[in-house]
Amino acid sequence: MTQTVFGVEFQGPVLLASGTCGYGREYADLIPLDDIGGIVTKAVSVAPRAGNPPHRVSETPGGMINAIGLQNVGLERFRAEKLPWLAENLTRARVLVNVVGHTVNEFAAVVRGLDDAEGFLGYELNVSCPNVEGGTLFGTDPVALADLVARIRATTERPLVVKLTPNVPDIGLYARVCEEAGADGLSAINTFPGMLIDVERRRPVIGNVSGGVSGPAILPMGVYLTWQAARAVDLPIIGIGGIRSAADALQYILAGARLVQIGTALFVDPDVAVAVHRGLEAYLERHAVADLADLVGTVEIRTP
Amino acid sequence: MAGILRRRVRVLANSPAAAGTWWMELDAPDISEAAAPGQFVMIGFGLAGIDPPFLPRPFSIGWRGEDGRIGLLVREFGAGTRRLAQLRPDDEVLLLGPLGRPFTLPENRPLVCVAGGVGLAPFLFLVPEAIRAGADVRLLYGERSGDRVFDLDLVERLTGLAPRVYTEDGTVGRRGLVLDGISAEDGPELFGCGPTPMLLALERLARDADLRLQVSVEEHMGCGIGTCQGCVVRSADGRWIKSCTEGPVFERRELAWPE
Repeated sequence: MTQTVFGVEFQGPVLLASGTCGYGREYADLIPLDDIGGIVTKAVSVAPRAGNPPHRVSETPGGMINAIGLQNVGLERFRAEKLPWLAENLTRARVLVNVVGHTVNEFAAVVRGLDDAEGFLGYELNVSCPNVEGGTLFGTDPVALADLVARIRATTERPLVVKLTPNVPDIGLYARVCEEAGADGLSAINTFPGMLIDVERRRPVIGNVSGGVSGPAILPMGVYLTWQAARAVDLPIIGIGGIRSAADALQYILAGARLVQIGTALFVDPDVAVAVHRGLEAYLERHAVADLADLVGTVEIRTP
Repeated sequence: MAGILRRRVRVLANSPAAAGTWWMELDAPDISEAAAPGQFVMIGFGLAGIDPPFLPRPFSIGWRGEDGRIGLLVREFGAGTRRLAQLRPDDEVLLLGPLGRPFTLPENRPLVCVAGGVGLAPFLFLVPEAIRAGADVRLLYGERSGDRVFDLDLVERLTGLAPRVYTEDGTVGRRGLVLDGISAEDGPELFGCGPTPMLLALERLARDADLRLQVSVEEHMGCGIGTCQGCVVRSADGRWIKSCTEGPVFERRELAWPE
């Protein structure tokens, strides 16, 4: 199940999505983290962020809505307190650091501040958070996105992945912008903006009013956007959105994803990461496929 | 953070214990053994379906039996809790636990436990443990109406203590609010769990009488183990802190209390 992506080997295609696995350590009791493909950390910003008022999470039909507001410990404490644990405990699993900023300079400052540290492979740029002001600014403006990716590309030689927002009319355009600006890969997709209303109180449930919707409810949209992005670029794509089984992960892979991330499903059952890995192995055996990579993007589209 | 367990466990009993309220016992030996009063479990149905509750729900560990049982007090609020109420013996659920920071037992001070509604749950575990430790314990328990009062014989059997009951309609116990039962005379340490207005009033009372108070709080939760940062409450120094790992039990001085 080893996959070579971004020029390095991942021991499996399953990663844990940013914001759902903290800084890794929180799941140390529950998931054999060093046996899976990898994890993507909670977003790291230059300065610590306080986050949004509660309620921050709530269940929605087939999923959840969240508006955490990128609460995080900030660059300095991430490097001093979180990265060393990852460096020591995740020696086989790959770590991507999710990076966020209000400006290009802030993104660049985080990358510069981490680049010589140990404990991670590369970066996932968060240009698609729906829960903070300006969170999707870079992800929905092709010019700003090109500028950001080019600038970070010039700052680091590590693998550089951009996490795309689904909230655009043509995701292929944004995928191409990232490719041309020098990104090594794409994560597709972040959460969908949504809103939930408490009809008894006649108020929004979420303190931030709106939030990002995730979970099984968004699976078909994620698969479709991954397929669109994969048709637009040659970059490796990490498929994300509603995965809770090997069959779900395979939909992303057949649509064109090289790797997948699991998020919301972890909250329901932490065993899901290993279960999806094993389920993919079983699928390969059942269909006599030697390498998962042979399936990437092979969904057969028949024209009548 | 050592020792969070994920277990598929069997329902041993789930019986009505008041209007819309159920007492559920689960066969969870190692979680039971590791648990301390004030801690909680996440209970869920796994990933096979997406009917509510899709996300697991936090429940105070309300009592543990000597045979590896834990008890949960379930009140129906919506589709998720309704499904939990419908569980029957031999059904299976997923448990994650024990989670969170437990209560701290005071030394040489009486305990007054103040429970509002399903806020009774953590005290079904704390009270017998405190009695076993030799503490002087009182249990005050309030409900809006008599039909919602949890089976009092069961409370006494689980805790070894008859609670003093308050209802707003006066149909069971004393008419009034649970706070009416608090006396600051012998300098007790207060323990509170219940709806926000009750906790706010309890905090004011504790502050005015200069009493120590530990509260167990409730907030919408995603993961239960500190990764999603969904379940925050405001700290005294103005930060958002996680009720799942930094709580759910807090000293009143750790939290910000709106006037």
